[in-house]
Amino acid sequence: MAATSLAGMTNPPTSDIDLFADEVVLDPYPVYAELREDGPVVHLRRNDVYALTRYDVIRGALADWESYSSTSIAFNPMANDALTGTSLASDPPVHTRLRATLTENLSPRALRGLQGRIEAKADALVAELVDKGSFEAIDALARAFPLEVVADLIGFRGHVRENMLRWGQAAMQVLGPMNQRTAENFPIAGELYGWCSEVTADDLEEGSVGRGIFDAEAQGAIPPNTAGHIIHQYLGAGVDTTVAAIGNVVALFGSHPDQLDLVRSDPSLVPGAFNEVLRFWAPVHAWGRRAVRDVEIDGAVVPAGAQIAILFGAGNRDPRHYENADTFLVERGPADHLSFGYGPHGCAGQGLARLEAHAVIEALSRRVKRLVVGPEVRVPSNITRSIEELPVLEVIPA
Amino acid sequence: MKIVLDRPRCEGHGLCEEAAPQLMHLDDEGELVLDREDVDGADAALAKAAARVCPVAALRVA
Repeated sequence: MAATSLAGMTNPPTSDIDLFADEVVLDPYPVYAELREDGPVVHLRRNDVYALTRYDVIRGALADWESYSSTSIAFNPMANDALTGTSLASDPPVHTRLRATLTENLSPRALRGLQGRIEAKADALVAELVDKGSFEAIDALARAFPLEVVADLIGFRGHVRENMLRWGQAAMQVLGPMNQRTAENFPIAGELYGWCSEVTADDLEEGSVGRGIFDAEAQGAIPPNTAGHIIHQYLGAGVDTTVAAIGNVVALFGSHPDQLDLVRSDPSLVPGAFNEVLRFWAPVHAWGRRAVRDVEIDGAVVPAGAQIAILFGAGNRDPRHYENADTFLVERGPADHLSFGYGPHGCAGQGLARLEAHAVIEALSRRVKRLVVGPEVRVPSNITRSIEELPVLEVIPA
Repeated sequence: MKIVLDRPRCEGHGLCEEAAPQLMHLDDEGELVLDREDVDGADAALAKAAARVCPVAALRVA
C-alpha cells in the first residue's frame, strides 16, 4: 500500500519478499514480475533496500550518477569498504580517471588484435566437444573457455589459473547481504585480494595485458600501486559473469532449437542472439547504488541515503519495453538490454564478453544442428545467476 | 538536430555504427568518426537509435 506523505508525494509500495532467499535467487523471474506490478520502485522491508523494477527507471538510474552513487554497489558495508577507491565503487570525477585506466587495455579498440585468436580457440573447443557427442557444458565450455581467454590475456600462470574460478565466484558472492553465503565467501575473496596486493610484473607472462598494466605503473602512466587493483577487478568482475552468460547460451539454444536454426541460417543474427541471451537471463541478479538525495520516482520518494537494488533481469522482462518479454527470440536483437548496465559504469569488460560469446555462438551455429540437453542444475548464489551443471546428452552435428 | 559525441567517454564499442552506419563509423584505430553531425528527418531518427544503444551513454542528439 502506498501512503501519502508531504507535498502529494507517496512512499513507495512495500513488499516482504527477501531478494536473496534461496528460492528467489534460483528463479527470480516470478518475483521480478510481482515487484514490477507493485511499482517501478518497491521498498523490500526484509532487505531494507529499494528495488528498481521497470526498464525505464533502471536505465534512468544507471545514467544518473548524480542521484545514484556507486559507493554502495554491494549489499553489506564490509564489501563496500573493501571496494573503496576502485572505479566500480566510485563516482565522477574520480571515477572518470579510474575507468580510463581500467579500460585502457580492455576496450574494443585495445582488444581488436585478439579477435582471431579467440575465434580460433572457441572453434577448436566446440569442434572437440561435438566430436565427443555428449559433455557437461558448464565445466567443459562455459567455464573452460573464458577462464582460458582471461588467463592468457592477463598472463596468469600456475596456481592462479587454478584459483580463478573460485576466486571470481567468491568476489561476486561477497557483494550480497551479510548472509551465510557472503560470510563463507569472504575468506576466499580475501585470498584473491591478498594475491592481487602482492602480485608483481614477474608473476605474469611476458607480453600479456597484465604485464602491460605493470609497465604503465612503472612508467607513471597510472598511479603507484594501482596495477594490482586493476587485475583484481578483471578477475573479480569478469570471470563469473562471463561463465554465466556462456552457460546460458548453451542452455537456451538447447531448449530452443528453432532459435538455433535461425542463427544457423543467418549468421548475421549472432550479435543479436547474444543480446537476447543476456536480456532473457541476466547474469547479475541485483546490483547496488546509494540514493545521494531524496529521489522521486513516478511520484514516490526514495529517501536520501537509501540502499538501492537494481534488478537488471526485472527491467529486461518489462512488457512496457519489450513485446512478448518472457519469450526467447533471437531476431529481437535487443541491443538496449540492461544486463551490462548502462552509462558511466556500463560493464567495462563488455567488449571482451562479446568477443568470447560471439565466437562461441558462431562456432556452435556452424558445427551443431541440435543440442539435446538434460535438466540444468542451479545452486543459490547472491549476485551471479548461473547454471552449475548442464548435461548435453547428445550433439547432432551440422 | 546535432549529434554530440562525448569523446573521452567513448570506448569504441561500435554499437552506434551498427545502428546508423550512414552517419558514423569506427576508423582503423577503433576511434569513432561522425561522418555527419547535422541530421534531420529519417537521419535524426537513426541518430537517436545510435545514441540509444551506446552502452556508455557517450552519444546524444540535441
